[in-house]
Amino acid sequence: MSAARHSASENVLEAQGVTMIFGGLTALNNVSISLGEGRIVGLIGPNGAGKTTLFNCLTGLYTPTRGAVRLRGKQLPSDPAKVTSAGVARTFQNIRLFPNMTVLENVLVGRHIRMKQGPIASVFHGPGFRKGEAAAKQKSMELLEFVGLRGLEHEVARNLPYGDQRRLEIARALATEPEVLLLDEPTAGMNPQETEAARQLIFRIRDIGVSVVVIEHDTKFIFSLCDTVSVLVQGEVLVEGSPSTVRDDPRVIEAYLGKPREEVEAEVAEAAAAIEHHREDS
Amino acid sequence: MSRLNGLIPAALARPFTAIGGVLFLIAAMLPWATFILNDGAYPEKSTLQFFDAPFELTGFRWHLLLFGLLALIVTFAPIPGKNRVLGALGWGGGLIGAVGAAFIAGKGGGIGAITAADGTIAMGSIVAIVAGALLKIGSAATGPGDIPEWPTSLFGWTGMKQRLEAWVYLLVAFAGVLWLVAQTLTAGGIGGAAFPYAGPVFIAFLGFAGGLLGALHGIGLTRWVSQLSEKHRPFSIVVLLLCAFALPFPFTGAGSQYWMQVAATIGVYAATAIGLNIVVGLSGLLDLGYVAFMGIGAFVAANLSGVAASALGWNLPFPLAALIAAVVAGILGAIVGSPTLRVRGDYLAIVTLAFGEIFSRAAQNDIGDLTGGASAMPGIPPVSMFGTAFNEPINLLGAELPSGVLYYFMIVLVVALVMAVFANLKNSRMGRAWIAIREDEDAARAMGIRTGKAKILAFLVGATLAGLAGAIFVHKLGTASYDSFKFLESVTLLAAVILGGMGTIPGAVLGASLLFVLPEKLREFSDYRLFVFGLALVLIMRFRPQGLVPDRIRRAEFAGETAEGKSIEAVEEQAVLEQEQSEREPGAPAGPKEGRS
Repeated sequence: MSAARHSASENVLEAQGVTMIFGGLTALNNVSISLGEGRIVGLIGPNGAGKTTLFNCLTGLYTPTRGAVRLRGKQLPSDPAKVTSAGVARTFQNIRLFPNMTVLENVLVGRHIRMKQGPIASVFHGPGFRKGEAAAKQKSMELLEFVGLRGLEHEVARNLPYGDQRRLEIARALATEPEVLLLDEPTAGMNPQETEAARQLIFRIRDIGVSVVVIEHDTKFIFSLCDTVSVLVQGEVLVEGSPSTVRDDPRVIEAYLGKPREEVEAEVAEAAAAIEHHREDS
Repeated sequence: MSRLNGLIPAALARPFTAIGGVLFLIAAMLPWATFILNDGAYPEKSTLQFFDAPFELTGFRWHLLLFGLLALIVTFAPIPGKNRVLGALGWGGGLIGAVGAAFIAGKGGGIGAITAADGTIAMGSIVAIVAGALLKIGSAATGPGDIPEWPTSLFGWTGMKQRLEAWVYLLVAFAGVLWLVAQTLTAGGIGGAAFPYAGPVFIAFLGFAGGLLGALHGIGLTRWVSQLSEKHRPFSIVVLLLCAFALPFPFTGAGSQYWMQVAATIGVYAATAIGLNIVVGLSGLLDLGYVAFMGIGAFVAANLSGVAASALGWNLPFPLAALIAAVVAGILGAIVGSPTLRVRGDYLAIVTLAFGEIFSRAAQNDIGDLTGGASAMPGIPPVSMFGTAFNEPINLLGAELPSGVLYYFMIVLVVALVMAVFANLKNSRMGRAWIAIREDEDAARAMGIRTGKAKILAFLVGATLAGLAGAIFVHKLGTASYDSFKFLESVTLLAAVILGGMGTIPGAVLGASLLFVLPEKLREFSDYRLFVFGLALVLIMRFRPQGLVPDRIRRAEFAGETAEGKSIEAVEEQAVLEQEQSEREPGAPAGPKEGRS
C-alpha cells in the first residue's frame, strides 16, 4: 500500500460507528474496526458479545441501525449477494455447505458470480458455455488443491470429515475471488493438529492477497495468527491493538475470566451493606 | 430392511432361502395340483383370467415358477451379491402372491376362499407370500452384502474392440428395456367391463418386474449398464430414442391404437413432471398449482387453433400456437413466481395452491370467454404437418401403424427435448444455483447468488415446459376442458416427482408413468384410486424416502464414491461416526453438529 493514497483507502475494509439495535437490545454499540491490506484481524470476545452480529453487518445480512461499512472507501450494499459480488466472502459459524452437492459443485457455486453464462447459454451448452465451465472447473480444482482437498472433489459434501468441511467452506468462499475473507470460528471443533493446519492455511490465504477477519474463541490461536486483535464485549470494542497489547490488558482478562477474587468479594460486601442499610431505613 | 438383519442365525440363512424357493414352486403349481388331485371342475369363483389356464404356464404362475427356480439356483450357486438378489426375489414373489390373495379374497370367493378346499389359488397365493417372507428373512440374515463391480470389458479388451463390445451390451440392455416397457404397458390388457382382471394382473406384473430389476441390481448388472451408458452417452441416447420409436411396431405387442394413446398421455405428463422437477426437485420450491400452467398452455393453444368456441377466431399452425402457449405460460409462471421472493416453504405452497385454484375456477366460469367454461372447448383440430394429420394411421417401414402414432412420435421428441433442457440446465451455472438455493438459501445468497431472480427463473422455465406440454395435450385430445387441470392433477404430478425421485429425469418419467398408467389399469378400483395412491406414497416415503430413482446415489456411484457397493446408509453411518469421533477429540471447544437456525 503506497503512502500516497489518502487515509480512507489504506484500509480494505472499514466499519465505522456500527450500531445494531434489535428491538430494545443493543447488540452492537458504535463499533469501529478496520482491516489493512494483506492483514489478518482477529475478533475475540465472550459469548454474546456481538461478534457474529458484526459479521452479519459486514456481509449485508443485517443493515446496521447506524454507522457504515466501506470496502475500499465505498459503502457496501445491504444485500449479502451484492456484498459478495463486491468482494467480501464469508464462512459460517455452523458450517453451511450445500450438503447434498459434491465438493467440486460446492466450489463451483462459489464461482457463480464470476461466471457469465445466462439461462439461454445454460440450455444450449454452446462452445462458449463449455469454455466457461471448463475454466470454472479448473479454477475450482486449483482452489481445492490450495486448501488440500484435491482428490475428494466427487465426494458428497455431507460425507466429508468435519475438518474437511471447514476447509471446503473456505475454498467455496475463496472461489468468489474476494478481497476480504471473513471467517467465523474456523477452528471450532478442531483438534490441535487441525487447528495448526487451519492457521497455516489462513497465512497462505493472506499471502495470495486476501485480507482476513477471524472470529475465534481460542485466544492462543488468535494471538499467534493476527496482526491486530479487537476485543468485543457487550457490543462494544473494549480494546484494540497488537496481540501482545491485548493479551496483557487487564480489562481483557477481566472480560474473559472475571475480576480478581478480592475485588468481587469487596463488591459483594458493598452490595450487602447497601441492602442492609436500605432495610434499616424502612 | 435393516431390522430383519440377524433376525435368524446365519446358519439358517441358506435353509430359509431354499425353502422359500421351493415354496414359490409349490405356490405356482398348487392350483394345478389341486385341480388334478380333486379331479373336479376348476373352481369357478376363484378363477381369474390370469390363472384360468391351469395347464399353461402364463403370467402369474410363470413368474412365480421363474422366481422359485432362480431363488434355488442363487441359494446354492456362488453368486456375488446373492443376498440382495434373494431379497429382491422375495419382495417380487411376495407381492405377486399378495395381489393374488387380495384379489381372490375381495372379488373371488371372499375371505373364506382362502382355504385349500374352495380356493386353491388363494392357497397358492398364501404360500407365495410365506415364501417371499422366508426369502426376505433368509437373505437378510447375513446382511445385504456388497454389489459386485463388473469390468468395463468382460474380455479385457481395449480401444475400438472395447467400444464395440460395450455397444453390443448396450443394445441388448436397451432391447431388454424396450421389452420390459412394452410388457408393462400391455400387462393385463385393456381394463374395464370387458376384462375386470387388468388391475391385479398389472400389479402382479409390477411385482415381477420389480423383483427382476432388483435381482439384476443385486448382481451389479443395472449399475454396470448405467456406467456403460454414461461412458457411451451419445450412442445410448440414439439407441434409447430408437427404442422409443420402435415401441409402436407390431413386434413389441404394444402397437395398438389404445396403447399408443396411453403411451402418448404418459409422455405428456412425463414432460410436465420433468418441468415440475425443475421447480420442486432442483430449486426446492413446493408448487401445488403447477398444472395450471399446463392448463394455460392448453387454453392458449386451443384459442389460437381456430376453435369454434373461441372468441379470438385465430387459426395459427400448430408449432406457432404451441410456441405462443409455452411463452404465455412462462410469463405467467414468472408472475406467479414473484411472490416467492417474499415467502418460503409452506407459505409458498399456499400461494401456489391458491393460484391453481384461481385458474381452475376462472376456467370453469369462462372468465374472459377464453375457456368455454363448463362446456369446454371442443373441436380442436388435430395437428397436421407435412400434409399428414396426426390422428391418421400411417404406413412406416412396411408396417401398418395405428392412428395416434404420430402424436406418440411427436411426444417422444418433445420428452427428449425437455429431458435435454433439464439435463443441461442442471449441469450449468443456473442449475447449481437452484440446487444451492434448495440446499441452503442463506448460504446461496452469501455466495452471491441473486436468489430472487433464480427462483423466478425456475418458475418461468418450469411453466414454459408445462405450457408446451399442455398445448400438445389438448391437440391430441381434441378438447380443452378446465376439468383436466384441477388440483388433483397438480398433486398427482407432485406425487410423480417425489415418488420417482426428486431432481432426476428417470425418476420423473418413472413416477409419471406409474401414476398415470395405474388409473388406466385400475379402472375397476376407480373408487379406491386415491386411497391406493395415498397408501403407495406413504409406503414409499416410509421405506424409500429418496424416491425410486434417487439422484445422489447414482451420482455418487458414477464418481466411484460408493464404488465398494456400500449402501448410502452405510456411508452416512460412517460419516456420523467420524463426526462423533471429531466431537470427542480433545481440545474441541464446540461440538461440530450444532443445530442450524
